[in-house]
Amino acid sequence: MFAQVLATEFLKLRRSKVTWLTLLGLSLGPLGIALMMWIVRAPGRAARFGLLGTKANLAGLVATWPVYLSMLTLIVGIGGMLLLSFIVAYVFGREYADGTAKNLLALPVARHWIVLSKLIVAAVWWIVLVVAVVAEAFVIGALLALPGFSTALAIGAVHDALLAAGISFLLAPMVAWVAVLGRGYMPPLGFALGMLAVGDVLSHTGWARWFPWSVVPLFIGAVGQRVTALPATSYIVVALTFLAGIAATMASVRWTDNAQ
Amino acid sequence: MSAETTIATRSLTKRYGDVLAVDGVELDVRRGEIYGFLGRNGAGKTTTIRMLLGLIRPDRGEVEVLGTRIGASSREVFSHVGYLVESATAYPNLTVRENLDIQRRLTRAPHAAVEEAIEAMRLGEFAARRAGVLSLGNKQRLSLARALLHRPDVLVLDEPANALDPAGIVEVRELLRSLSSEHGVTVFMSSHILGEVAHLADRIGIVSSGRLVEEIDREQLRGRERSHVEIGVSDPVRAATALGQAGFARIERDGEGLRVFDARDRVPEMTRALVSAGLDVTGIAPVREDLESYFLRLTGDGE
Repeated sequence: MFAQVLATEFLKLRRSKVTWLTLLGLSLGPLGIALMMWIVRAPGRAARFGLLGTKANLAGLVATWPVYLSMLTLIVGIGGMLLLSFIVAYVFGREYADGTAKNLLALPVARHWIVLSKLIVAAVWWIVLVVAVVAEAFVIGALLALPGFSTALAIGAVHDALLAAGISFLLAPMVAWVAVLGRGYMPPLGFALGMLAVGDVLSHTGWARWFPWSVVPLFIGAVGQRVTALPATSYIVVALTFLAGIAATMASVRWTDNAQ
Repeated sequence: MSAETTIATRSLTKRYGDVLAVDGVELDVRRGEIYGFLGRNGAGKTTTIRMLLGLIRPDRGEVEVLGTRIGASSREVFSHVGYLVESATAYPNLTVRENLDIQRRLTRAPHAAVEEAIEAMRLGEFAARRAGVLSLGNKQRLSLARALLHRPDVLVLDEPANALDPAGIVEVRELLRSLSSEHGVTVFMSSHILGEVAHLADRIGIVSSGRLVEEIDREQLRGRERSHVEIGVSDPVRAATALGQAGFARIERDGEGLRVFDARDRVPEMTRALVSAGLDVTGIAPVREDLESYFLRLTGDGE
């Protein structure tokens, strides 16, 4: 029966425009970095590109694989975290926005199966997105013929991107919970943005490793000094956030009045 | 709860802040009957239906459907229940057929059930169309098809005739009647339109301000049609006394006039009694109160 529930969730995801928009959104990231690399390799071209060129030069960028891949990690880490929040907000929030949540709750299907299948669908789509974008980044990097490539560098970049993506997913159930409580898309998106902002503030106070939404930015070096290895406490904090998010979402779907 | 009872509620109560939405409702819906749950907008019909389906929890009381107490963990009983709550909704990006296939998978119905439901609700022409572009009437048909798809023993339908054209209303009425009489399906349907319920329901519960104010069968409802005579008279107080002395038992003041019940055939006698008492009669008219007026009076909106 769970397989049937899962199949319905995949059908909904596959037929949604939002799904393909998220792929488009994330795939623009490597293209953007590649454009900057292309510009900084020739200052003459930079001038013709106006502000973008000036900004790229001012940032002190150098067009090498290490720089290119560190920027990719930033995109998958921060941009991906927001995009994943958007996916989860959509997968859960659409049932309320479309008024279909009530059709799912008086069925011969346990309500927690529906929560679980939605999280699995979001996870699968998230993995597809990250893998597709990392692969795209390597293809574009190769086409640009950037200097400084090594296998160890590539493995390190893939590891970092996947770890950042994995940590981001552990925070997703909390976003799902806010979508269920807020009955729509906007509250979970607001929540995700708010948490990132709080994470940014906390990163300057030394509390980053303790706050779930600071862990990815800390790991990829988006705030403060990049850490080479995350402390165990950070893993524990995000794991607990994951479990609490799942429990809260399941409890809300089960016990909250569905009066909408 | 007897073996014949399909839906039972005991002291069902739900409060939203200061508003008592449902107040101690007791229902016993029998197997195979069509039960009309009649009330004005905001009377508590949808809240009651949501509690029947476990979508919201009662503050007090309980619900049993097919002998199972309904709660957040109720599952198997819903293999036998089809429902439509409030507005017709569907996944807008999915076609009619895909929307129904989702219901088929979630209710473990056979593959053929999708085409049968499409046929039953005459949605064949729209089966490959996205639900988002359907008219309101066809969305309602899709929601009804969704409710019927797994051949439930109990149908809980909130305003099933919403958005349907007159031909659609008749079709749905005939379909529900045949499901009830030929397949023993119990239908619990809410409506705010008395005529719709009076045409179809075997029994009618009238709800007002969250309370079940009357429960009657269709024939009894017809018998509740009342008639009275409206009288315009110079002195209503003296006129009421004169009519009372002349043997008219049910007299009500109505502004500057009177209403005399059960007196439709006694107009000449009434006139003589008033004139003999020296009163000026300015008007006299027999009035037949129809079912709508009866309903409005019961639900507190009548004159």
